[in-house]
Amino acid sequence: MTYDLKPSPQPSGGEAPSSESRRGFLKLAALTGAVVSTTGRRALATGDIGFFAKDLSDEKLIDMYRTILQIRWHERTQADQMLSNPDYRGYNHFYAGQEAVATGVCAALRNDGPFDQIDVVYSSHRPSGHAIAKGVDIPKMVAEMDFRATGMNGGYGAEMHISDPSVGFIGADGMIGPAPVIASGSAFAFRARGSDQVAVVFAGDGNYAAPHFHSTLNNAKLLDLPLIYVCENNLYHQYAHYSYSCPHKDIAEAAGAYGIETEIVDGQDVVQVYNAAKEAVDRARAGGGPTFIEAKTYRYYNHWGAPGAKAGELGAFGYDPLAITSFRPEREVRAWMQRDPVDIARKILVDWGVVDETRAAEIDEEVKAEIAEAFEWGLSQPLCAPEDGLKHVFAEGTVPARQFG
Amino acid sequence: MAQKSWMYSVLEAVQYEMQQDPAMTWIFELTPPVASNPNMPVINLETEFGRKRVVNTGIDENWMASAVLGAGLAGSKSATYIPYQGALIPFQVIQNVAGKLRHKTGGLAEMPVVWIIEMTGQTPGFGQQHSCYEEDSYYMHIPGVRTVVPSTPYDAKGMMHAAIRSPDPVVYLYPAGLRTLTQEVPDDAFEVPLDKAAVRMEGSDLTIVSSGAGMPGVLEAAETLTEEGMSVEVIDLRALNAMDTETIVNSVAKTKRLLTVDQSYYTLCPGAEVIARAVENVDGVKVKRVAFPDAPPPASPEMFTWMRPNAEGIKGAARALV
Repeated sequence: MTYDLKPSPQPSGGEAPSSESRRGFLKLAALTGAVVSTTGRRALATGDIGFFAKDLSDEKLIDMYRTILQIRWHERTQADQMLSNPDYRGYNHFYAGQEAVATGVCAALRNDGPFDQIDVVYSSHRPSGHAIAKGVDIPKMVAEMDFRATGMNGGYGAEMHISDPSVGFIGADGMIGPAPVIASGSAFAFRARGSDQVAVVFAGDGNYAAPHFHSTLNNAKLLDLPLIYVCENNLYHQYAHYSYSCPHKDIAEAAGAYGIETEIVDGQDVVQVYNAAKEAVDRARAGGGPTFIEAKTYRYYNHWGAPGAKAGELGAFGYDPLAITSFRPEREVRAWMQRDPVDIARKILVDWGVVDETRAAEIDEEVKAEIAEAFEWGLSQPLCAPEDGLKHVFAEGTVPARQFG
Repeated sequence: MAQKSWMYSVLEAVQYEMQQDPAMTWIFELTPPVASNPNMPVINLETEFGRKRVVNTGIDENWMASAVLGAGLAGSKSATYIPYQGALIPFQVIQNVAGKLRHKTGGLAEMPVVWIIEMTGQTPGFGQQHSCYEEDSYYMHIPGVRTVVPSTPYDAKGMMHAAIRSPDPVVYLYPAGLRTLTQEVPDDAFEVPLDKAAVRMEGSDLTIVSSGAGMPGVLEAAETLTEEGMSVEVIDLRALNAMDTETIVNSVAKTKRLLTVDQSYYTLCPGAEVIARAVENVDGVKVKRVAFPDAPPPASPEMFTWMRPNAEGIKGAARALV
């Protein structure tokens, strides 16, 4: 699965790569059994083989494993709430199945420190995984998704609009299209003020068809912006297969046409994602411009909510009444679940001697308990006061009620 | 004649027009042009007319809106169904191209085009971006584009026939909250005019004017007010641009009291225009408007359901006027 792209012009100055030879991550493919294609990427001038995960401490690797599990247990616990608790009102566009993408990318970012120094993340319409990986307070996110007054955004936004700038999580977007362009604006500001911060946008395969996709990549390349576009290609936008809206098998092919460095990774393998993200972050910080990472991945649930799922079981295999155009075959879902990001991460950590199976299982239990506590706290928080809906329209004051004439 | 759902009524009209005109096209994303109704054949435009004429595309409302305009300019009737999350992305091409095209070509441009634009706002919990029911205010401001909003399955079908047959470009607002309504709707094609309001109840004490998804709350309130002894006249605007001034003025001349109800934001809600036309033409009118406050709809159901205009608020405002 390789093809030729014209090499992009060399960025001048900085620590930009200067070799044009191409190198595939065959070692990595052998390790995970994944098929990896590298597209038009240049080898690193430093002679680095690009396997940046070699430098990760055991502690960091365990953190990443923990993050994957946090996302997974958040999704499962919330799905169970939706399916079995009639009082639960929250919902999600579930991220389960894609955990390695958010985790691998955010592990390469600066997530702690003053706001004007940390990297920023723009999320998509499937935001809970990105939020957790960037470091939001999980109990507060749980409370927000159930419209609680003490939630992350005071109950104003809920799932489609979660945001916590203090950790650089600019937030979810209920719309498909605008986020990448806006993220390029943050990258533009970083470049203008001489900061080494980077802006990351996560967007699905559905974003390809929007004009915003093309505007983002064009301007990011024209201005050499420190932008990392992470395209999570989970094969389906809303209820349609991506072949309805994109003529490319690899969406990275389209990004390559804008002269942008591209990388296609196995989105189920957190190490591959991390390696690609680290290279992209290093390039962006050094003034080398944008990178487009296409992570091949899959969601275990349908577009929205938990139709077709059963409480206590991972994944949705049943009929989603909204999926008239392209119904996801059960065998396709099950085939992707054979390459589960949680399993892959655990196997790698055990294989590398970072943890043994016993410790890995303990971590799983710890995280499950942590998420259960987060739900217990979140769902016991107070509901919003109706009149507060008139606040936060402008920085100060409230707007008048108009619904009573 | 049968009891029909809203979507079935609309697609029956589209199906008929597409059968009559083999050049007519339909573009959609997310919402397949499929509807079923008890004891009636399933309508599926995609399978009936094929994917050359009925296109399922990406999340690209700009293309959808522009492509039907281009199809219309090339002589093909064309319609597109824009779901709510993209409801204002087509604004630019409708406002600054379609709306001005006939005028700037000295009348040469022909645009047999319909943009079906979904309005939501009925579901507590969806929050700001999926509750964009303020589109009526935006689209009705555009000269050169007819903007209509049916509130019954009968009107939905009749206005769809009229919209497709109209030589003018039409923004056909689709109040998704009314999707569950059913009504006796004729099987044959018929037209409901694109420039006439409907008087839903006749009365002499108070005129209440609303449209689209505001209508159920108004009718509920009017029923209670009638039981209380108030004589209420209820007008369903149906046409936002061009607005049926005559029906409004005739009613208000009789009642001298006008209450407008919108789910759109207070500032520049359709009711603001209704009030302006009424007081311009009738002396001594007492007016009030009920609308969503000038705040984005919050996700919290507690906040949202309090802010959304409902029958209780309408009744209170009516009693204060009469």
